[in-house]
Amino acid sequence: MENKDMDLYRHTDTVNELLARYGVKFGIYKNNEFHEQLFPFDAIPRVIESDEFAYLEKGLKQRVTALNLFIKDIYGDKKIIRDKVVPEEFVYASSGYLAQCEGVMPPKDVFTHIAGIDLVQGKNREWYILEDNLRVPSGASYPMIARELCRRSSPKTFQQNHIADNRNYATLLRKTMDYVNTGGHTVILTPGRYNAAYFEHSYLAEQTGAHLVTGNELIVENDHLYFIDYSGKKERVGAVYRRISDEYLDPMNFNEESLIGIPHIYDIYRKGNVALLNSPGNGVADDKGIYYFVPKMVKYYLDEEPILHNAPTYLPFYEPDMKYVLENFDQLVLKDVAEAGGYGVVFGSKMTAKQKENFITLLKKEPRRFIAQEVIDFLDIDIMEGDQRVPRKADLRAFVLMGEEPMVWKSGLTRFSRNPDSFIVNSSQGGGFKDTWVLSQ
Amino acid sequence: MKELHFEYHMKLSFDTPVEKHRFTLKCVPRSGERQEISDLSVDVYPKEFLSTYKDSFGNACIYGHAEGKHDHFSALVTGKAKTGLAPSETAREDYQIGLYRYQTNYTAPGPVIRAFADRIPFAPDATGFEKALQYMKELYGHFQYVQGVTDISTTAEQAMAQGAGVCQDYSHILLSLCRIQHIPARYVVGMLMGEGLSHAWVEICHNGHWIALDPTNNLIVDDQHIKISSGRDYKDCTVNQGVFVGQTRQTQEASVKVWE
Repeated sequence: MENKDMDLYRHTDTVNELLARYGVKFGIYKNNEFHEQLFPFDAIPRVIESDEFAYLEKGLKQRVTALNLFIKDIYGDKKIIRDKVVPEEFVYASSGYLAQCEGVMPPKDVFTHIAGIDLVQGKNREWYILEDNLRVPSGASYPMIARELCRRSSPKTFQQNHIADNRNYATLLRKTMDYVNTGGHTVILTPGRYNAAYFEHSYLAEQTGAHLVTGNELIVENDHLYFIDYSGKKERVGAVYRRISDEYLDPMNFNEESLIGIPHIYDIYRKGNVALLNSPGNGVADDKGIYYFVPKMVKYYLDEEPILHNAPTYLPFYEPDMKYVLENFDQLVLKDVAEAGGYGVVFGSKMTAKQKENFITLLKKEPRRFIAQEVIDFLDIDIMEGDQRVPRKADLRAFVLMGEEPMVWKSGLTRFSRNPDSFIVNSSQGGGFKDTWVLSQ
Repeated sequence: MKELHFEYHMKLSFDTPVEKHRFTLKCVPRSGERQEISDLSVDVYPKEFLSTYKDSFGNACIYGHAEGKHDHFSALVTGKAKTGLAPSETAREDYQIGLYRYQTNYTAPGPVIRAFADRIPFAPDATGFEKALQYMKELYGHFQYVQGVTDISTTAEQAMAQGAGVCQDYSHILLSLCRIQHIPARYVVGMLMGEGLSHAWVEICHNGHWIALDPTNNLIVDDQHIKISSGRDYKDCTVNQGVFVGQTRQTQEASVKVWE
């Protein structure tokens, strides 16, 4: 395979130029200023054999099915709390838990329409789940468009390798949206162009044939949602793939200061008159503290052994775990459960004595706020640096879409750290991305 | 038991007319184990579109919109209430009311509330209900009822630090204290016999029942209160919330009358 791919690697610069021309960018806020930056593409793909992917697929479907049942239970009967599988403080103290969602059941009981599950592969070839993203996970558009551009620059690479076509993401997404649509148009709701993932919003709208709209083009009237088109005509909307976070979605139900939301959209959702993808309140299930309990959820709801494993994780909330964390501090990575995007992650070994002392004081004061994980010995992936292949840390965001059945996209976003010493691959921290090839045989 | 008449009136006046108004009202009392509501009349202006729903805390909500220009917005709710029908209200299972055990932005204790809580000695076998009663008694003795020194955004800790406030503050502080003890406690908005504004008090859960405590008056609620709504704090029970388009100055008037 190495040799056959060489043609493609020569096109790294061409593909990056095309990505820039198509406006494939993401935005970040630094010191309150908005910067758009390119998301560097590396042409060496991550390659996953078809039987290995079949294993991942099975595990991902199982995990997301359990997470969906958990959210339904938490905002409904709360049996998992009654049965003491998940302590209630992890639910109610989670910033993703929204009391406004109590008792509200979405169309067809689907909460986790689009899940982005982050995995890493260890040197032992074992895959570990790092994080579940169930709110508004982004990233599918990057490998979609990169694949398209690679096909154009090096058609023969794709004739010589048997790679599962990843252009079906739009079809999967459309299926997912149509499955819960309550009657009417499907729209993708974006906060606007100053959003980190604006490119993705417009690309997915184009690919799925959904309307790309902002909050001021949607209006709730007579218990239903309408889209106001350019001529002022109102068209009924039945499904909203919203790419704005829960708190800004509806000023009447969540953050009342929100100017980008749609007043009363949550009230008609409560009545079953519109589908929102993903469901508000999902954050209760992708909190870093709740993560620890996901394998237990799989057993609890599905009565199955979890196929995919978490990275070995400790909860200082539990006394024995706290003891372990203090004794093995230098071997662990500590994560603040309230933070995301690679922020709030610290390595025990990289702290000065003073920092360590301060951190441990904080940890003892607020044990629920942190999780500790063993540092996984990542299986590095090569990237091209000039003419050199150099190894870098990388993760994989797999996309699981929940229609009538859970569906796993045969591709994914592989992100890598450009810094050889860094384990943090988030795009907001300056990483790049690769295509993910799932071999079809 | 009492048979009471009630009248709740609220009016927002705009000096320049507004349009595209969207609003939610939580001002309609519901029948339950402790009170029975009859002869209910709800009159909202403008009445272009009105719809109802029950929110996540079980409150009766009215929501609606008025597209056209209007210079005021008002609600008049009248009816009769039989009160004091039961000493308490049946709660859901303990594992289902966990959200009322946790502090919110309004109730989160700071050093002042914690110090106050620490000074109160409990009998070793005191029940949650007895602790709540003792907190209420101590709070009543310590905190001054003064209007105008706090507003709707004041937190329990801020109010406690200045030692004075109104029913909203008494209630938030009592919630904060009860939740320190992991007693499920919720905020209640309603009407009290006499003439004035809407009132706020607290319900705590004890042995599967919600018992209502009025910390502003240091009493266990009997038949002089008509409950409208409940939630984790003031915010969940906001009586009137809205957004509209228009550059305007608004003035609000509100009044409550409850008589036998």
